[in-house]
Amino acid sequence: MRPSYHRILLRFWKNCLLREMTFRGHFILRIFGEVGWVVLMLIFIEVIFSKTSQVRGWSEHQYLFLMGTHMLVTSLFETFFFENCWRISDLVRTGNLDFILVKPANTQFLLTFERIDFAALANVPVGGALCLYAVVQGGYTITIAHLALFIILIFTGVLMLYAMLFMFAITSVWLIRQTGLDALWFYAMSLSRYPSEIYRNFAGGTLWFVCVFVVPVLMVANLPANVMVRTFTTPLIINFIAAAIGLLILSSVAFKIALRSYRSASS
Amino acid sequence: MGKYFVVFRVSLAERLVYRADFFLSTFLRFIPIVTTILLWRAIYDGANQTEIGGLQYNQMVSYYLLIMIVRAFGSMPKLASGISLAIREGELRKYILQPIDYLTYMLTLRCAHKLVYFVMAAIPYTIIFWVCSDYLPGWPGPAMFCLSIMTLVLTFCIGFAINSLIGLLGFWFLEVATFIHAFMTLQYFLSGHMFPLSLLPKSVEKIVTSLPFAYETYYPTLILLQKVSVEEAIRIIAIQFVWASIVAGLCLFAWKRGLHKYAAFGG
Repeated sequence: MRPSYHRILLRFWKNCLLREMTFRGHFILRIFGEVGWVVLMLIFIEVIFSKTSQVRGWSEHQYLFLMGTHMLVTSLFETFFFENCWRISDLVRTGNLDFILVKPANTQFLLTFERIDFAALANVPVGGALCLYAVVQGGYTITIAHLALFIILIFTGVLMLYAMLFMFAITSVWLIRQTGLDALWFYAMSLSRYPSEIYRNFAGGTLWFVCVFVVPVLMVANLPANVMVRTFTTPLIINFIAAAIGLLILSSVAFKIALRSYRSASS
Repeated sequence: MGKYFVVFRVSLAERLVYRADFFLSTFLRFIPIVTTILLWRAIYDGANQTEIGGLQYNQMVSYYLLIMIVRAFGSMPKLASGISLAIREGELRKYILQPIDYLTYMLTLRCAHKLVYFVMAAIPYTIIFWVCSDYLPGWPGPAMFCLSIMTLVLTFCIGFAINSLIGLLGFWFLEVATFIHAFMTLQYFLSGHMFPLSLLPKSVEKIVTSLPFAYETYYPTLILLQKVSVEEAIRIIAIQFVWASIVAGLCLFAWKRGLHKYAAFGG
């Protein structure tokens, strides 16, 4: 019998919501913590633009928009995928992956969607509000087509990040100890938070080239922001979407290979 | 004293277990530095000025590099959460029953952690500082060198005291994890880790730079950067000493009061 995936998904999400609501005070405090971080970033931007009027061609409003976009991408990723990816190395080390392998459904699906972090979701409206504020203040005209493309690119970016982190997480099958996932996520995000142009002349442009065209991690926020408040080219968008699809396929293949090396743990 | 030496030795051995993981994570920690260097280049170019917040471009880069050293002394990962967990889960009882002082015990552990860290981090730090030597100020004179060591030791003391104090709040509050998280975020800004505090508007700068957090990170970094005169450095160190004493005093007070309240939950 084919498992009903949307019912599994709904059950997963319901469980997570129940878990969060058990510790309501903690949940609310976490949301405050997330918002506090945003306030700090805004202070930083304010400080930067009190000293200069533009950063590599990005005005303050464009920069604010970039930050809002970055927040949308990261909080969507953290809501749906971060905890799931992070859990994988634990499951491998303790051998608890066995319990998921024996279930009559796609293992990658179960691993990918079991948890959802509702507190991280709080940053989505904050990021959205920041984008809206930047658009209004900057006086940019937005068409429906732009908005649609923006949303598509955001989701593409989130899926691409998932593919990358998932692949990193499953290397724990070979390495067993894998604590670097949160560090990798943190650094990938601290790179992509800024205008991609700042990397252009670094190391002969190699880093820029790789992170814009090959594994377009720099583009997850830059590209949607460019579409909305700056200029963009179609080839870059096609390349971005193609890279995301490529990485997703690769992650699925890599997972199957990794499972072959999985030997469970303890007794 | 002998018993603390044993604690020190055991902890030393324990910290040396995951070496590869350590080297990788130390190098990874410098990734944001690349972004910082490039972002500030863009800001200096955009502002078309040689000095921002009283710092030239190479001093700005040095600031972010040297702050890594200061943070290596002052940051106490998992200290506060460890103490509050020991209180909440009743594990603290184990220590109270033994003829040791819990806070001295924790301090000994921390010294061992730091020692291992400095010995192992010496290699990656040397490489990175060598690569970036163009940005850095030259070696300080003997007087400034001694003051640099003193300020770093006091940074360690303030860091330990602040984090212990927060951990000890566990006597009064069941769940301090979220508070710790919020505190870390705030500290990132108040200590000058996010950006040099001299970039703030003068009125705000005045308030922020009089808090203990500035004396934990910001001022020691200025000493390492040789941005202050010997007289000023001595004054900073004296104030650091005062802050360290105040916070340590609060710690002892909290410990004594907390023990009266302590109910040793858990089996």
